[in-house]
Amino acid sequence: MTENRMVFRGTQELEIESPLIIAPPKRLSPPPPTFVDDRPPVLLFEQVSKWYGPVIGVNQVTLELRSGITGLVGANGAGKSTLLRLATGQLKPQMGRVSVHGVDAWDWQAKRHVGYCPDVDVFYEEMSGRRFVLTMARLCGYDRREANRRTEEALEQVGMRDRADRKVRGYSKGMRQRIKLAQAILHDPDLIVLDEPLSGIDPVGRQEMLELFMKLASQNKCLLISSHELEELEKLTEHVAIMSRGRIAAVGTLQTIREMLNDHPTTIRIDLEQPRELGRLLIDSPDVVGLEMPSDRTLIVKAKNPKQFFRTFAQLVMEEDFAIERLEPLDDSTHAILGYLLGGSGKT
Amino acid sequence: MESLVELRNLTRQFGTFEALRGIDLKLPPGRIGLLGPNGAGKSTLLKILMGLLAPSSGEGTVFGIPLVPGADGEGNWQLRRLMGFMPEADALIPGMRGVDYVSLAGELYGMPRRDAQRRAHEVLSYLELEDARYRRLEEYSTGMKQRLKLAQALVHDPPALLLDEPTSGLDPAGRDAMLRLLLELGTDHGKSVIISTHLLADVEAVCERVVILYGGQVRGFGTVRELCASRQDRYRLQIQGDPSAFREELRLEGVEILSENDRGEMRVVVPAKWITRAFFALAENHGVVIRSLIRDDETLEELFFRTIEKK
Amino acid sequence: MSTDPLKQRITMLRYRPWRGELRGPWSGVLAIARVSLGQMFRRKLFWGLFGFSALIFLFYFFGQYLGVFMQSQLTGETGTVRLGSGVGAVTVRPENMIQALTKTLKMNGSADTFANFIWFEGYILIIVLTLAGSVLVGNDFSHGSLPFYLSKPISRWHYMLGKCLAIGVFVNLMTTVPALLLFLQYGMVDEWSYYWDSFHLVVGILGYGLILTVSLSIILLAFATWLRKTVPMIMVWVSVFVLGRIVAKLIVDGLKFSPSWRLFDLWNDLYLMGASCLGIPLETMRPGPQPPFWQAWLVIGGLCAFCLLYLRRRIQAVEVVS
Repeated sequence: MTENRMVFRGTQELEIESPLIIAPPKRLSPPPPTFVDDRPPVLLFEQVSKWYGPVIGVNQVTLELRSGITGLVGANGAGKSTLLRLATGQLKPQMGRVSVHGVDAWDWQAKRHVGYCPDVDVFYEEMSGRRFVLTMARLCGYDRREANRRTEEALEQVGMRDRADRKVRGYSKGMRQRIKLAQAILHDPDLIVLDEPLSGIDPVGRQEMLELFMKLASQNKCLLISSHELEELEKLTEHVAIMSRGRIAAVGTLQTIREMLNDHPTTIRIDLEQPRELGRLLIDSPDVVGLEMPSDRTLIVKAKNPKQFFRTFAQLVMEEDFAIERLEPLDDSTHAILGYLLGGSGKT
Repeated sequence: MESLVELRNLTRQFGTFEALRGIDLKLPPGRIGLLGPNGAGKSTLLKILMGLLAPSSGEGTVFGIPLVPGADGEGNWQLRRLMGFMPEADALIPGMRGVDYVSLAGELYGMPRRDAQRRAHEVLSYLELEDARYRRLEEYSTGMKQRLKLAQALVHDPPALLLDEPTSGLDPAGRDAMLRLLLELGTDHGKSVIISTHLLADVEAVCERVVILYGGQVRGFGTVRELCASRQDRYRLQIQGDPSAFREELRLEGVEILSENDRGEMRVVVPAKWITRAFFALAENHGVVIRSLIRDDETLEELFFRTIEKK
Repeated sequence: MSTDPLKQRITMLRYRPWRGELRGPWSGVLAIARVSLGQMFRRKLFWGLFGFSALIFLFYFFGQYLGVFMQSQLTGETGTVRLGSGVGAVTVRPENMIQALTKTLKMNGSADTFANFIWFEGYILIIVLTLAGSVLVGNDFSHGSLPFYLSKPISRWHYMLGKCLAIGVFVNLMTTVPALLLFLQYGMVDEWSYYWDSFHLVVGILGYGLILTVSLSIILLAFATWLRKTVPMIMVWVSVFVLGRIVAKLIVDGLKFSPSWRLFDLWNDLYLMGASCLGIPLETMRPGPQPPFWQAWLVIGGLCAFCLLYLRRRIQAVEVVS
């Protein structure tokens, strides 16, 4: 796992949208001084807002990335694609500033440090994969020899070296994604922005892509991945930025975000032979705010203050000698957290 | 009918390339997931089930209608009367309104025009597209388009639904809603649901049985519970606190730690006659809190990789 | 199955099963034709072009009427007539006018009338068909609507038939129907025995219309399937007809080669086929030497067969599942 290099700035930026989150945002304990870097961060959004006519794409977004893999999640239409396009300098914000290594993202100097792997497939279908990547390399401004070298290196990294001579028209989804990734890493950028890189790929291919991302992250690159596939994102990284309605609803590690939602009770599933016995005892605990028995082997507990609850629970298990078959908090996943933050079924 | 689909020694070639070989399958009605990496023959199998392709050799029946092998031709379009297909691609007709689109689908299935129109309204309101039904298809969002595609597959109330990546492009909330819908159609309304997807989590949520295809052959078929190995002696733990002392203690008790990460997640193998209470006791003694304890049965993902790896 | 009876009851309020009779694929064919027509009729450009074709019809309509009227009014009196008054007055010789209308423009209810009328309508028809091709078929390919159609219990031939029916409607709306109206009009204006004497012309008109419908819809479908987008469709479609005409003219009239070279001109070939239906003799045709009828039939027939084979290959149901 790569180190957490995300710096959290100030409390005023963290405005969590959902009414479920009542507690005012807490200031995180600042990271130990050794982690603070003097160089400007790889990607910095400063109070960025972007409109399309009357429609707002992103609204006062502040975000700072230094290294490692960051996931960007949120409902459709929340502004993820807009944010990614702002990061790659394709869009200019109406308010605020987007900078890469301190340089305005709009500037061509900044784009040198950014690689973009878009969600749409726009290839020249009659070209072979190799030719396509080579063309992109030439467009980057490299001379023939350098472009060739970089192309081969990039294809090697994505594992397409032997298959790159077929025409793109015949490629499977997985192969297309790899070619897109290859053209994104050609110029050895510090920041790689990926929009839905795993969609449509079979489980085998997905595994390979995940390994590839981790390899890139270990080379000290910063990856910003927007994806709906939360299960896969969780395998990659702990650090997520959750977007909702054009704003960043929460940024940080899943654990931290979960803790910030402390006032919201955790739902915990317990499987055992005699749930009623346990239920009777748990009801006495002040941490427990709800109990449900969907079957005669399962108990669902709603508890505030999870840390305290688990301690209480452990003690009960030992005192009364319960044979616990399963203990599972049901809302530790990004999925559940998203559900809380975005408030109920966001019908798209 | 007992079996939805029965295939015996089915093959399909494209020139010299063998897309499917020796497929023997008997699918009962119900919710079935079709899994397999790219190039495994999934789409070929789907096309044969839908009657878009004829098998090269072998025999079978789909909904009781026999499949006739024939190297070249299109399969039998009759097969498509009894199923609704939800394609992965957009497959929309821009310029049409939602209700007209679904009603056209109904007519193409063979419904009389009035019935098709009435039914289109009904199905669209079931799928919560009531407000948008008079709007043109270009104005629909991704989630709405997916539901629209489901609507045009449901309009003639088929006994079976065939879905290709039903949750593609949907955000987590939309995906949940779609999966719940499919589960409901399968359990409450008695429809057979065949889902072809790369997302194993979707299959876990909806399907009772899975078919795993690889290299043109059926590598695994059965209920998820049957196929996934239950490993009585393995557990997954998540702890909070400093794990070092706890870890040591576990080892002393004969517990083998398979893997561990910095989030406090561990996978362990316990010796015989172990009781879970011991975990809690040890945790208590070493200042660690157990947040999660689950038996480490094989997940669908592990099953999938195990299946395609064996020769 | 959900065991809770209350839930079952509530659920049934939301999703109701449908138990009805499914008809065969032919209802689907009609549905496709109907929807395609709707898509075209919604376009303003189509109505504009239709207006032009109506202009040609009106021209012939009044021309016929005027011809017959003048002939009936003149009773041997030759000389000039003054039309209008004041400065804008014009002196005409009625005989010249009648001559122009009946002999030159052939607006006399004869086989030539209808053949020429449909020939002129052809100019507009070609443009309308270009539009139809890209809207009806090209859009299906470029927007990926084909899987929608082919995942239903119809075969690709049903799909094509539905589209051809729609195209046929346009073709007939602009050729056969107005031609029949002209026929009716002439009979009413001239004499009732006209209907009896010239009934074979009705058959000829219908035959010409049928030839146009079948051949144009097949060729159009093939082009639209090949080219898909509007602009290339217009370019290729128009050039095939216009360039074909120019090339044929150059070779036959300019270089004085054998008249069989005129077969390049597709519209002319169709005209020849129609003429053979209407019973117009080959020698009386206007532009120079013409190839014999059977050659025109051969060329168009061969082209249609080729297009059908192409369509068979191109509209593959296998594209439904990617």
